[in-house]
Amino acid sequence: MATTLVQEVGPASGAPQGEPKVEETPTRGHARFAHSLDRYALIIAFIGIIIGFSAAVPSTFDTVANLSNILGGQAVLFILTVAVLLPTIMGDFVDLSLGASLGLSAMTIAVLNVNHGVPIVYACLAGMGAAIVVGVVNTVFVVFYGNNPFIITLGTMTVVEGVTYIISSNATVGVVSTGLSNWVYTNTFLSIPLEYFYALAIFLVVWYVLSFTPVGQKALVIGQSREVARLSGFHVDRQRAWAFIIGAAIAGFAGIAYAGTYGSVDPTAGSTFILPAYAAVFLGATAIHPGRINALGALIAVYFLAAGTAGLELLGAQAYIQQIFYGAALVVAVALPTVTRKRLFKRRRAPS
Amino acid sequence: MSEQFHGRAPEPSTQGDAQTAVGNGQVAALVVRGISKSFDRTRALDDVDLEIHRGEVVALVGQNGSGKSTLVKILSGYHEPEAGGQLSVDGADVPLPLPPGKSHEIGLSFVYQDLGLSGGMTVLENLNLSARVRRGLGAWSPIWWRRERRAAAAVLKLYGVSLDLGTRAGDLAPVDQARLAIVRSAHDLRQFQASAGDRSSILVLDEPTVFLPEEDVRFLFDLIRTMVGMGGSVLFISHDLPAVREIADRTVVLRDGHKVAEVLRGEFDEEALVNLIVGGMTTRRSAPPREDTRSAGAMSQPSTEETERAPIPSTASRLPRDGRAISIDGLSGGRLRELSLTLAAGEIVGVAGLIGSGAEDVPYILFGSEPATAGTLEIGGETLSIKDLTPSRAVRNRLALIPADRKQFGLGLALLVWENMTMLIQDEYFRGGIFRRDELVAIAERGVDDFGIKPPRVDARTSDLSGGNQQKLLLAKWLLARPRLLIAHEPTQGVDVGARREIYQLVRRATDGEGMAVVWVTTDFAELEEVCDRVVIVSRGRRSGELRGAEMTEDSISAAVLRQLEEVA
Repeated sequence: MATTLVQEVGPASGAPQGEPKVEETPTRGHARFAHSLDRYALIIAFIGIIIGFSAAVPSTFDTVANLSNILGGQAVLFILTVAVLLPTIMGDFVDLSLGASLGLSAMTIAVLNVNHGVPIVYACLAGMGAAIVVGVVNTVFVVFYGNNPFIITLGTMTVVEGVTYIISSNATVGVVSTGLSNWVYTNTFLSIPLEYFYALAIFLVVWYVLSFTPVGQKALVIGQSREVARLSGFHVDRQRAWAFIIGAAIAGFAGIAYAGTYGSVDPTAGSTFILPAYAAVFLGATAIHPGRINALGALIAVYFLAAGTAGLELLGAQAYIQQIFYGAALVVAVALPTVTRKRLFKRRRAPS
Repeated sequence: MSEQFHGRAPEPSTQGDAQTAVGNGQVAALVVRGISKSFDRTRALDDVDLEIHRGEVVALVGQNGSGKSTLVKILSGYHEPEAGGQLSVDGADVPLPLPPGKSHEIGLSFVYQDLGLSGGMTVLENLNLSARVRRGLGAWSPIWWRRERRAAAAVLKLYGVSLDLGTRAGDLAPVDQARLAIVRSAHDLRQFQASAGDRSSILVLDEPTVFLPEEDVRFLFDLIRTMVGMGGSVLFISHDLPAVREIADRTVVLRDGHKVAEVLRGEFDEEALVNLIVGGMTTRRSAPPREDTRSAGAMSQPSTEETERAPIPSTASRLPRDGRAISIDGLSGGRLRELSLTLAAGEIVGVAGLIGSGAEDVPYILFGSEPATAGTLEIGGETLSIKDLTPSRAVRNRLALIPADRKQFGLGLALLVWENMTMLIQDEYFRGGIFRRDELVAIAERGVDDFGIKPPRVDARTSDLSGGNQQKLLLAKWLLARPRLLIAHEPTQGVDVGARREIYQLVRRATDGEGMAVVWVTTDFAELEEVCDRVVIVSRGRRSGELRGAEMTEDSISAAVLRQLEEVA
């Protein structure tokens, strides 16, 4: 017999048992290989599509302009993905309102700057402030009153979207100060718009905190087993509250990047970003640390999705192909390991 | 002392005997003959007989592991008895084993400790739950809510229970939840009786009074009497001897899988019953009467048949050290009322009580995870109010909690071994903006060796470890934080014998080496006898006694727990 399953002997059956045998099998190496395959599958797929598109449309895919488009053009989504990461990693699986906060922030900037002539710096601060207020409201209801985050943030998302319509009088507002556009999109470094580097900086800070500090390690425990964290003396609620509020602040910053990138702000701006951001976070959870929401995985996922859609568009696909690609990639990435595992187990059980 | 009872040897008695037991010449509602069951090498039930008559309340009492629950599970069809056992209902033989889930077809219904109510559904919906189970087209027949309301109201009235049909079951008081569950089962049985033509029906109540406040138990008894008055029979399984005395017409005592006595209502003597349940000096599990380790200094020699029970290393360092005592004073909250407890450095104090006595609340209230209403904790020269205690403050004051529910509260099963083990000490390894992860991993590697965790890999997923190894990991996690007081609740639950001994030794090493004190709460009294210096008995939320030294045996703990005495000054 290949495996001896780990046994638990209750106090009722007092039969003496030897050392519990731990799975030690020839399939171990196989399992470990399958495990690393899980870890790097997304990266391999990423390299695969880059090679594929380079071969298919070398004249356009392998260009600096395309790289700049992929990296710079998706900076807003990248920033929002980092925002989404924070509450999700703490086990509060959804903060739907982050997209609406992005929209509110961008619209606040546009309305203050364009309609009221407020200097762009103050407008940007006000935009972030508005997003933070939304985060605080979420925190109060979700963390302090212990309500379900899905329901609460569904509600705050809807309210915030409504408020965005009101302040914009249901119209696109623009064009914001070119000062903002210059510092966000027009100016480049290494031919890549500056906003990419802002996004990267935010990501690096979040990545460092989550991966290289006790705070990040505690966040992991809180996300995986909240009760264990509580009984280990962690300040669970305090840390969840910070995740909601900092997440909202980062979403507010994503609103600044949006206003700078597009110049004028559409009242529906926020809602177009939130689901792709979640797709990236959950797709990222299948890589690097499979089964864990993790920052590095989310980074790879964002640019995997961006490169995929850019390539498909260069091949002549319509813009809506993006949605199909995002959705399909998410389902395949999440379902594939479970499907292969089931087959693996079936095959392993049969001979023993 | 057993001569005053109808002491019945386990040999099979005849049907005639059963009838004279009550003396009304009626055919017994339920007769069980010669039921046996073994698990591995343990004989859980050995040739047990049981009769229940119509309109009779029979109590089944015995210690944990006496075979009570095995018998119930055979009646419910969960366990398969060994060949040779017989079951008959109204004189008609029923083939054994019962197919699972079919026990209601012979007129048996069960109410377990957890009651099986759906807390989010209303009283009405819970009452009619069994009517919802239909197959085929019946599943599509419409529900006439008005008619169901009227019928349900009539049922509640019939049993003399007044409950609002629209209340969510989860919002009811515990006693009302119990009454609802019982009425539901009784009513299902009544419908069975009506459809099967005046057959007997037996309601099995498994520890129904455990979580009820004392003053509410009588409401339950009123309901049981009403049921019995309508011709039903009740099998009442309980640890609670005062409750048994009040409600049972006949009490059957099980011990180590044998029926050792049957006691009629008029002959009920609680003290004698305790002795029957515990069995006085038995040889089965308990070690030879042990000497007081404090005065003796060395352990008594283990007898030859007890080779498994190698002595736990124990040294004179367990003697109290001045100024390092931990004192818990007036602990109240949950079911606890003013419990006080003092521990010397390095001392292991057991807490024992029946389920529902409050003993199982001690760990969580003391750690600040469940609310306390009063009480102070004196530790390390500081006096803390337990009311204001939170798990964070408890950890800061170097308290440690090993919760009974390891999977939900103890360890993150998705985390790696090193992550779980170093969870509490990681703050010390963040210096100069750099997280010294490699140092933590190195500590975990030493811990894995030190605590004998297998597989000895710090990057294994915790869920891949066996129960015993998970428990050792949980112990390692807390002991690495060098607690002053370790509070352990059922720390060897679901752990094999080998790992159990390792856990005892690991705890003992920390108490001897570092003077850590331990509060050890478990219902495994043999374990208390083996590891503790003293055992405090908790009854009805209060401290009701203390055993130490030679008087602290598994049986004496059981007896003390069953007596439920108020504190003797």
